[in-house]
Amino acid sequence: MADPVFRSSVTSAETTSAESTSAAAVTISDVSDWSKCSVKAGEGTETAKGFAVALGTAAQRNGVLVVHHRQHEWLLLGSAAQVDETIHNLDRDGFVSTVDLTHGRMMLRVSGPRSADVLAKVCSSNFDDAFTPNRAAWGATVARVTCDLVRDDQVGVRSYLLLCDRSYGDYFFQSLLDAADEFAD
Amino acid sequence: MLLVPCPVCGPKNAAELTYRGETHSRPDPNQATPEEWRSYLYLRDNPAGWLREGWFCSSGCRTFFTLERNTTTGELREPLLPGNKVAGRPISDGTEP
Repeated sequence: MADPVFRSSVTSAETTSAESTSAAAVTISDVSDWSKCSVKAGEGTETAKGFAVALGTAAQRNGVLVVHHRQHEWLLLGSAAQVDETIHNLDRDGFVSTVDLTHGRMMLRVSGPRSADVLAKVCSSNFDDAFTPNRAAWGATVARVTCDLVRDDQVGVRSYLLLCDRSYGDYFFQSLLDAADEFAD
Repeated sequence: MLLVPCPVCGPKNAAELTYRGETHSRPDPNQATPEEWRSYLYLRDNPAGWLREGWFCSSGCRTFFTLERNTTTGELREPLLPGNKVAGRPISDGTEP
């Protein structure tokens, strides 16, 4: 059987140009092809203890970004192989469940020194370093779409991962593109 | 803008939460009279003063919680997770700092 083919929910033809024209101040890229898995684990389970990620933060664990964005719930982001391996090695004692969200959620990365300014136009969260430092994770509405946000700076450059339902993908991308327009070189 | 203090996320714009209205203790279904059920289901106090109301953090942590809000001044009292019946201390006047 052939490997499954990933198809992004961002179908806009402007995707490529948006990435290239806004590269200096802000870059918006579709990273929906990352593997995304939700893990729910009850309090006190070995799985919950094993992640050792505080609520509202994210951390790298064996190449997988583990995001503790809600109580008793974690999001694993990374390559398919590494996420699969992490899931395979989970301790299943107690209440532990996993759901693969790869094809149900879309994910954008907004990077660049002005990325917080772009998001501040369409989201009421406080993007100051004091409130949302690197590796902060939280839920909020962005451009009227309920999202999970993770600050995941890349080599010292401010960067955010935004996850929302796949069906909003095209609209969501276009909304961020509009918000980033004034920062394009 | 009304800043609502979610017990998990912290202060959030009320537009990011779902208002669930006045909350009352649910009467015992084996003991309640039809009048008590009717009152519980349909009647609201709508006081000018402190009101206990339910909120749902729909865009954040998905937590249901209750808090007390003064309907005349906008003051808020500490949010409570389900099962905690103790009235909270004042934490906000409901306006942006």
